[in-house]
Amino acid sequence: MRFKGGYNVLFQGKPDGAVQTMPEPEKLYLPLRSERFHFSSLSVEEGQQVQAGDVLATDPDNFDIPLLAPRAGRVRLEQAENHIVLESIEGLPEHAELDGREILHAEQKAGTAAAKREALVRLGAWQFLYDAHTQALPDPTGTPQAVIVSTVSLEPFLVRGDVLLHRRLLNFTRGLEHLQSLLEYQPIYFAIPDIRSEFADLVRNHIRGYAWVKLLEIPLVYPYDDFAILARGLELSSGNGPVWAVRTEGVLAIDQALTLDRPCLTRTIAIGGTGVVSPSHIEVAPGYPLKAITDKYVFEPNPRIIDGGILTGKVFGDEALGIGTECRGITVLPELKEREFLGFARPGSDRGSFSACFLSSLTHRIRERLTTAMRGELRPCVSCNFCEEVCPAGISPHLIHKYLYRDLIEEAAQARVDLCVECGLCSYVCPSKIDLRAQFTEARELIEQDKREAREAKAREEAVEETSA
Amino acid sequence: MKVLLRLLDKVRPTFEDGGRLHLLHPAFEAIEHFLFSPSQTTITAPHVRDPLDLKRFMSMAIISLVPCILAGLYFYGLRFIAIIVVSYAAGLTVELIFAIARKEGINEGFFVTGILFPLIMPPAVPLWMVALGVAFGVFIGKEIFGGTGRNLFNPALVGRCFLALAYPAQMSGSWLAPATELGGRVLKYVDGSNLDAVTTATPLALAKQGEFVSTAHMFVGNVAGSIGETSAIAILAGGIFLLMTRVGSWRTVVSTLASFAVLAAILRHAQPDRFGPVLWHLCAGGLLFGAFFMTTDPVTGPVTNTGKWLYGAVIGATTVLIRNFTGYVEGVTFAILLGNIVAPILDEAVFAVRLRRLRSEG
Ligand code: SF4
Ligand code: SF4
Repeated sequence: MRFKGGYNVLFQGKPDGAVQTMPEPEKLYLPLRSERFHFSSLSVEEGQQVQAGDVLATDPDNFDIPLLAPRAGRVRLEQAENHIVLESIEGLPEHAELDGREILHAEQKAGTAAAKREALVRLGAWQFLYDAHTQALPDPTGTPQAVIVSTVSLEPFLVRGDVLLHRRLLNFTRGLEHLQSLLEYQPIYFAIPDIRSEFADLVRNHIRGYAWVKLLEIPLVYPYDDFAILARGLELSSGNGPVWAVRTEGVLAIDQALTLDRPCLTRTIAIGGTGVVSPSHIEVAPGYPLKAITDKYVFEPNPRIIDGGILTGKVFGDEALGIGTECRGITVLPELKEREFLGFARPGSDRGSFSACFLSSLTHRIRERLTTAMRGELRPCVSCNFCEEVCPAGISPHLIHKYLYRDLIEEAAQARVDLCVECGLCSYVCPSKIDLRAQFTEARELIEQDKREAREAKAREEAVEETSA
Repeated sequence: MKVLLRLLDKVRPTFEDGGRLHLLHPAFEAIEHFLFSPSQTTITAPHVRDPLDLKRFMSMAIISLVPCILAGLYFYGLRFIAIIVVSYAAGLTVELIFAIARKEGINEGFFVTGILFPLIMPPAVPLWMVALGVAFGVFIGKEIFGGTGRNLFNPALVGRCFLALAYPAQMSGSWLAPATELGGRVLKYVDGSNLDAVTTATPLALAKQGEFVSTAHMFVGNVAGSIGETSAIAILAGGIFLLMTRVGSWRTVVSTLASFAVLAAILRHAQPDRFGPVLWHLCAGGLLFGAFFMTTDPVTGPVTNTGKWLYGAVIGATTVLIRNFTGYVEGVTFAILLGNIVAPILDEAVFAVRLRRLRSEG
């Protein structure tokens, strides 16, 4: 498999491998919206007492994926906008993790594939699956052409596969067996990091003998772990049916659901970035109050708190109160405070750049103390080609930018702006500080909308024809 | 530095909309952003950005010209400084007028043009011609296209080309013999009127009469020629730096020089008595300077890497042909301007092939 472009942005605040458990909160704030889901259809009433694992709401547009109550407690619907609040939280009953560990392999009896898939949706494990090409939730009743499983997580700073797998390798391989039992003969591609790492050795030893798993070694360069990039590299074209993709946490959730019949009520997320005291991983229930986390970890007086990684994450809005069900990491950046005197003329041994215009390129790459600064003025594109060199999707960002600048959506579509995986690297490297990624996201939405409208118009026409015929 | 920033903050309202001097806002902004990095922050993802900005980008080009500037100073003396000052003053005026009219910032690209232009002037050129040339180059070569980033031609070359066509006699009669004394002319002001500086013909002009200057002399630079073009060592030192920073593309340079060398070698092989040796040609005239500092201008060259290979080939080959088969002694200026014209076409072709390949992807 050949990879194009890619680049690792290095900066301070990389989470270490430790996983810390946060104290049980008094209240949970479960957001009704997340990256892919909108849990708009409520299943509970104000004041209702719920048990851990009960369904609070579902997303009718996404195969009725449930929002589960992570803990027992009382439901409050009016306390916060767009959140379900749980108060009087009770801690989870102590299950020993051990009982699961004694089961070495996935049990064969566990029922038909259809029943298993239904269980995955019910127990909240299905939401860890992605359609590799569209990043949407795949249809639980569908048949994929292949499955991509990845333990690699390259965007700084999201929860890392090796951290999740620590002491859970057995659960993981059992999860893989479960995953396989959902399929007929479709291959599972298993992406593991750099073959030289100790972790890779360990994983390889564990899955030796799983003939249906095809190992895929990917270099540790952002964003080679992107599912769309992997699917394209494996030549799994979207025309041949969906490609399912799932990360480490998903495989572990599948194992928990199908081996123990237990819902997945805790998440491990990373907390890192320049503004964090001791960057690490934390184990929290979805809905965990954001403030409790930032109070403990953030020392910056004026931070930007990002839901997700530094390159693709979204800023937590003022109204965000708790961790979402899809959160994989929190990144904290200090806002720009001081303007640098003669900034552009510094030798630059303290800053790392994609170009080689700074002294640091002669020595070694450093972890920089990054802020939210734009670090330059907006200028017209100078055709330096950096964006194309760094783009993992093999398209030409500067060309698409020039089309979009002149409102030529049609041409941008032909230049395949839809292949953009929104990794953000082009915006990152551009010396003219053009917000390429944002422009492409907008263009892709426009194109999608056009297509949808065209489809609907066609459907209407056909309906008219039928009635008139 | 805090004091300075406070001072800037205090006078800022004068230059903003409604202020007394709001017309000069681009000038104020240029000074402010020269002194202090901008205060803008990212709004959407990615939340951080690379430290490289256009100021730094263009500074690298200027730094890479320093060896040539020093060599020019050594061989041709203080007058060179006067030429640089005139070039910046005249060019900046045009740039500022357009920045005000367009309500945009002053583009950093100008600072490179402003120093490139003096380096491709004959040393004894009258100062009014410098002013006229650079103003013409910036105006016609850049501003009417919409400024840096949108221009088709390299402004410095447009200026030189204009002077060469409008004032051929002055341009070809303004050569000076370079300094031969130890210590050069670092402290002397020499123009065409000084007795010790006889106006001599350049190596390429002499070659048309069958007389070849030694390659070693051209390598060091003590031959007649444009101010920055004569010393191959200085050009190489700066040029290699430029390529190392990745501001200039090595592909363009390698392709230009390689195509030039191959074609020159073929000619030499066919008729050794009529055509000069390859290495001699490589060091003569503006070829090296053009290859390292003019073809690598990202704006006027192709964007794609394949396009860059083709672009270099066009320029190298055209230079050989103009030099050896036309009445012009030097072909680099025209070759690069021709390259500027074909660059978008080359890119188009590369994109067409690429888009066809991409059509079935995903
Ligand atoms: S165009 Fe898209 S895929 Fe390519 S670098 Fe930019 S954001 Fe990433
Ligand atoms: S990185 Fe920016 S300036 Fe360079 S080619 Fe791409 S869009 Fe243009």
